[in-house]
Amino acid sequence: MSAVMNPYHDAAHMAEAVRQGEVSARELVTASLARIEATDASVNAFTCQTQARAFAEADAVDARRSALVKQGHGQAQLRDALGPLAGVPYAVKNLYDIAGEVTVAGSVINRSHPPAKADAFLVKQLKTAGAVLVGALNMDEYAYGFTTENTHYGPCHNPHDLTRLSGGSSGGSGAAVAAGQVPVSLGSDTNGSIRVPSSLCGVWGLKPTFGRLSRRGTYPFVHSIDHLGPIANSVAGLALAYDALQGPDALDPGCHALRVQPVAAMPAGVKGLRLGALNGYFDDHASAAAREVVALAASTLGTTASVHWPDAGLARAAAFIITASEGGSLHLDDLRTQLAAFEPLSVDRFVAGALQPADWYLRAQRFRRIYRDRIHALFADWDVLITAATPVSAPLIGTEWLDINGTQQPCRAAMGLLTQPISFAGCPVVTAPMWPTNTGGMPLGLQIIAAPWREDLAFAVARQLSDAGVAHVKLAAC
Amino acid sequence: MNEALCLQYVKTTAGLLQLPLCDAQATRVALHLQRTAAMARLLDSAGLTAHDELVEIFCPAPFPAVDPTLDSAGPSR
Repeated sequence: MSAVMNPYHDAAHMAEAVRQGEVSARELVTASLARIEATDASVNAFTCQTQARAFAEADAVDARRSALVKQGHGQAQLRDALGPLAGVPYAVKNLYDIAGEVTVAGSVINRSHPPAKADAFLVKQLKTAGAVLVGALNMDEYAYGFTTENTHYGPCHNPHDLTRLSGGSSGGSGAAVAAGQVPVSLGSDTNGSIRVPSSLCGVWGLKPTFGRLSRRGTYPFVHSIDHLGPIANSVAGLALAYDALQGPDALDPGCHALRVQPVAAMPAGVKGLRLGALNGYFDDHASAAAREVVALAASTLGTTASVHWPDAGLARAAAFIITASEGGSLHLDDLRTQLAAFEPLSVDRFVAGALQPADWYLRAQRFRRIYRDRIHALFADWDVLITAATPVSAPLIGTEWLDINGTQQPCRAAMGLLTQPISFAGCPVVTAPMWPTNTGGMPLGLQIIAAPWREDLAFAVARQLSDAGVAHVKLAAC
Repeated sequence: MNEALCLQYVKTTAGLLQLPLCDAQATRVALHLQRTAAMARLLDSAGLTAHDELVEIFCPAPFPAVDPTLDSAGPSR
């Protein structure tokens, strides 16, 4: 295997090698598919592979490059013409539409749906950027979970320890990157579904500002909280993918961004940024390992500031109620007629959500308005805030209860304790892969949180931690 | 809401929504709903007034009219 075909090279390196002619897009796809073949029987990240499409897309990139080189075009023109992700293999959570494939969203019920007629908006964006789609990824059914213990498709295993959880609901998206199957994947995050698997699998993840990226062409979970975003094996690759995904979309009523605000070319550096670590609720729900990664990041960034995030517990309660209510309502018809076909681990929550009194939902949505104002006020004083992404590193698959600082918590819900209050405010978060000392070699991610629309600041801090060597991806044992 | 009342609520509303729950599942759903009821009670302390309206299609902040990331060589503050 040539150096550039190393499955742990990042998207920026791979695309540059394709443009330089050091490797072809077809060779990259072949290497990615070989890695999937070698590892996925144990990881179970993929639910479908799109090999024919992948080779067609890769060959189109290679043919375009050959034609441009023959015409005498230079590297700058090649970059523009081939795209910033030329030849980079990627995969998507199986709630993204892929033309010609059924969007199963982790369910068996959706298998009876017709194949998607077109790609999701974000899949089109990555195709335009030159990336090559190799398949669709495992997830919790209808995204209602933090563990990807999918009964229909099997649990997704953590590549760093196959007996442990990958996290969820974008578990396949985190595990595929951690296993070196693809350098970039796409996931979705309503209450933590990009950040939890990024944390447990030790990869970089971005949950952008709510309304930043179009959700058109993906199977919804909770309309008023759903976000989409990338996962990658380097902060540079994460930024490249994020930039390629951006673009206004008037056809998604929840897409509020009016233009692209790229971050990949921005210089590193945190000088002058007002940085702090969250205390209170976030300390109370963090294990010793989670507090260790926050302390290491704070020390690396040169901050000792301790910051109170207002109403975190209330925000989690409101997010929980809205999620259950909208999720239950969305699936009510199928709950009536195909109850037994639902995921056993989440069906009771869907039903309970459908039965919630309207008062609970309305109160939660009214609270969200004043909560937003309090978070805006917080960011008048701070630029970037940090906290752990999960209370603990990856538990064993099948774990029912966790002890967090002496309190027993239901494992499948508790994995989102630290992420839910943040996404409910719609703030952008980069999750950085960190490696505490007493977790048996398992990672635990750090949330780097900025004010709405300030992904650039979160990326500046992420780069600083990456450059300092405290946040990075490690080769998985799988 | 105690356990018996919650179970009664689940069975009644499930009937209203035509959800075919067996007794065992109704009991599990009632347990979930009791936990959610505790969360709903938390929101009673939020101090909402009659003038606190619903959030619109949620927007975390207005999209900036001017791009602050273009103001300086480094990340803008």
